[in-house]
Amino acid sequence: MTADSRDPVIRKHIHALHDGFDAWPGGSHGSPPAMGDARWTAPLILSTWEQAAGRPATLETGTGASGGGFDALAFRFAPEGDRADPAQVALGIPLNRRGDGPSIEIPIPWYGAGMSYGSVSEEVMLARAMAAKEWGTFTSTGEGGYPDVLVPYARHVITQVATGMFGIREETIQRARIIEIKYAQGAKPGLGGHLLGDKATAAVAAMRESVPWVSLFSPFPFHSVYSVEDHRKHIDWLRSVSPGSLISVKVSTPTDVDMVAVGSYYAGAHILHVDGSYGGTGAAPEIAKKNIAMPIELALPRVHRFLAEEGIRDELVVLASGGIRSADDVAKAIALGADGCVLGTVELVALGCTRCSNCERGRGCPFGLTTTDPELSQLVDPWWGAERISNLYASFERRLRRIVAGLGLASIRDLRGRTDLLVYERGTHEPR
Amino acid sequence: MTASTESKTYRRYHLQTQPMPELTPVPPRFRVRVKRHKLIALVVREMIETRGDLRVSLSRPCVYGVFSRPVGGLWPREENCVGCLRCTVQYPEMVRVEPNPARSRLAAPGLAPDQVDTILYEARTGRVPVRGAGYRGRFGGTSWDGMWLDMSEIVRPTRDGIHGRETISTAVEIGGKLPTLTFDDAGQPVDPAPPLRWVELPFVLDGTGLADTTPVAAILAETAFRAGTLALLPARFADPGSMTGDQLAAVIPSGETDGALHGADGDPPLLELDLLDPADRQRGALRRAESPGAILVWRVPLGTDLAPLITEGAEVIHVVATIEQQLAPDLPRQLRAMHEALVEAGLRDRVTLIGSVGVRQAEHAAKAIACGLDLVALDLPLWLALQADLGSDPPRFPQRMSLEWGTGRLQNLVASWRDQLLEVLGAMGLREVRRLRGELGRTIFQDEMEREAFGEIAGWEPTA
Repeated sequence: MTADSRDPVIRKHIHALHDGFDAWPGGSHGSPPAMGDARWTAPLILSTWEQAAGRPATLETGTGASGGGFDALAFRFAPEGDRADPAQVALGIPLNRRGDGPSIEIPIPWYGAGMSYGSVSEEVMLARAMAAKEWGTFTSTGEGGYPDVLVPYARHVITQVATGMFGIREETIQRARIIEIKYAQGAKPGLGGHLLGDKATAAVAAMRESVPWVSLFSPFPFHSVYSVEDHRKHIDWLRSVSPGSLISVKVSTPTDVDMVAVGSYYAGAHILHVDGSYGGTGAAPEIAKKNIAMPIELALPRVHRFLAEEGIRDELVVLASGGIRSADDVAKAIALGADGCVLGTVELVALGCTRCSNCERGRGCPFGLTTTDPELSQLVDPWWGAERISNLYASFERRLRRIVAGLGLASIRDLRGRTDLLVYERGTHEPR
Repeated sequence: MTASTESKTYRRYHLQTQPMPELTPVPPRFRVRVKRHKLIALVVREMIETRGDLRVSLSRPCVYGVFSRPVGGLWPREENCVGCLRCTVQYPEMVRVEPNPARSRLAAPGLAPDQVDTILYEARTGRVPVRGAGYRGRFGGTSWDGMWLDMSEIVRPTRDGIHGRETISTAVEIGGKLPTLTFDDAGQPVDPAPPLRWVELPFVLDGTGLADTTPVAAILAETAFRAGTLALLPARFADPGSMTGDQLAAVIPSGETDGALHGADGDPPLLELDLLDPADRQRGALRRAESPGAILVWRVPLGTDLAPLITEGAEVIHVVATIEQQLAPDLPRQLRAMHEALVEAGLRDRVTLIGSVGVRQAEHAAKAIACGLDLVALDLPLWLALQADLGSDPPRFPQRMSLEWGTGRLQNLVASWRDQLLEVLGAMGLREVRRLRGELGRTIFQDEMEREAFGEIAGWEPTA
């Protein structure tokens, strides 16, 4: 759909919104006084808008102000003479290190996180898929089913199988090169998905084979999985349905996350996706977001070391999510032990999210992102959205190249687990 | 419901909630400032551009009704603003959304305005606060913020997900336990079991700090009755004739010995002896001998060595933290140490521990229990839920406060906190709150985890 064919009211608001996304990072209006929080400061949000617009980042792009975790870590760059050439840095990572199944490599060390149809609009899903295709990486359906508009992008779409089993069919599993089993989500670990009734429109309910306007609470956990052996059978089931697909296992960060990692390896997973407790969500109890399970920064070293001690680190791809906001966060997560990252909220911020935390209510997001409202959804044109996300990826890629080269490394793969290249500076960060 | 009635007829515990709006208006979260002349100019320009299409030119950016008056943005409804910022993003030169400075007056000791707002929401609705997007706060912190609770990837209390949460128990026993059972030749236990009773929640309502606020005492008593828990009230307030006596625990101040209550339905009466002054300690043992059928609670300062008290006969101990202790960065560690010392001494299962340790939010209750308490005593959140003015001493409550309103507010608060506790227990895979007590293997302390994760990183130092 082109902008001109839209309702004039929608057109008016799209025009004004796009002007605003361009104007605010410029600084002539200052910073919105009510914008931002400790994790996503106003400069970080505006910087993401700036990157998504395709302009060089002039604002702070690396950290928030949470006082710990990624925000307290900086890089120990090599002396000038020991640095590598950013243009020569390799950023690609393999997604299968096991030797069975297809070989898939992505040229950038991240892909898009699962966001369900219902938690976000179809337009947003499409924009993310288009950007994933452009960059040769992936995005995930989330647990709300597989809208038909994504089919042309199937080679870049991960089918998520979560406990609600919403919209899961043989064909949606078989068309995926990667199948993601969502055991848990960082923002609401141990609780299952929430989609409040106001967002369960007729279309969403049809996709999920549920009842319109009735809240959907996914069960927790899979009732067929109560052990590593069950886990193995679960993976075997999916591999029997789609033998050519890689299996990703998305878990949260309990104290025994290291054991969960080993269990997932022995169950046959190719990718372990560890989702930290400060990750995003369309709706979750506040008590769960803050207080249950640990942040990704603390979980990664435990997972990395334990897998290494078990002698299986190089057979399992570990991806980190749960608060990855910038290219700096990607690099820090890899230095703490991940192979790559999974991006969620930052992609929505690129599309105009202000992190107002009203995703769960009524018509949902007033920016047309986390909504299923037919009118609000039109605020995001998929082509515009894809361009914004692509621009963000390009900015991340540039920054990541500079970081890796600045550390004196030739490849992002060489950064994995290199905590010796980090420095802890509580409350400060490396000047850009 | 108490143990004795439970045995007569089974009923699933349920706490009814109903909307109970504030009596005193709460300042809106945001101020919306509109430059009216620019707005009027914009509308006029759009009317010209759209050739008088009012649908377009009067279309407003807010989906929450901030500009829903007939005059739109000329007179915003600030109370509807949720801070989405769409209006200011679209029209940066015209609209400005600011945090409302008037909200600062909501702050209370140890609580930021937004945290008090959460308590008000819970008291108003009885709901679990659910919002979109991820966590917005600082990375960990001190005290309760410096710890997380564990989750379980696969172990479930009921194997029925969220739909099985109603079968998770939040009931707790109050009373002493025999360390071992001894039987005579006939197979009958030799030692009589200490008096024991159940409460449905691991929260008790602590009104011991109340002065002459009998209406509040009645609200606490009625809430305790409806919720199936206890209200701790000064003995002079705890009149079974005027209040629901079976859910009261009379707190007998230092130097007094009177104040026995009669438990209903055969439940043992519950007396709390104020032993905050160490010189009073022997009163506990004496009263124990005088009141063999009563549950005696020994109220002592946090930091007291509890092992000797248990040896002297204490079966229920209520540890009370000073305001300084409540706000201390290492409070969870103090509780943990207290619990572990009793475990080490083999005494932990002989005593019920109640804590007045500055529990101000639902998460604090779960964490305090995980650190070793059986129950937590609530006070400040109750006064906040009742919209008390904490600036006056004693706190001043709304003049229009009625028994029904106050009870409804506290019932909502307690129901919300219980539901949040169920979220935690469900996530942890625990079937009952008693299993959370002292479950230190399922706690995650920030400093310990940081030492493991960051200990080898240059510049990292343990938190002081």
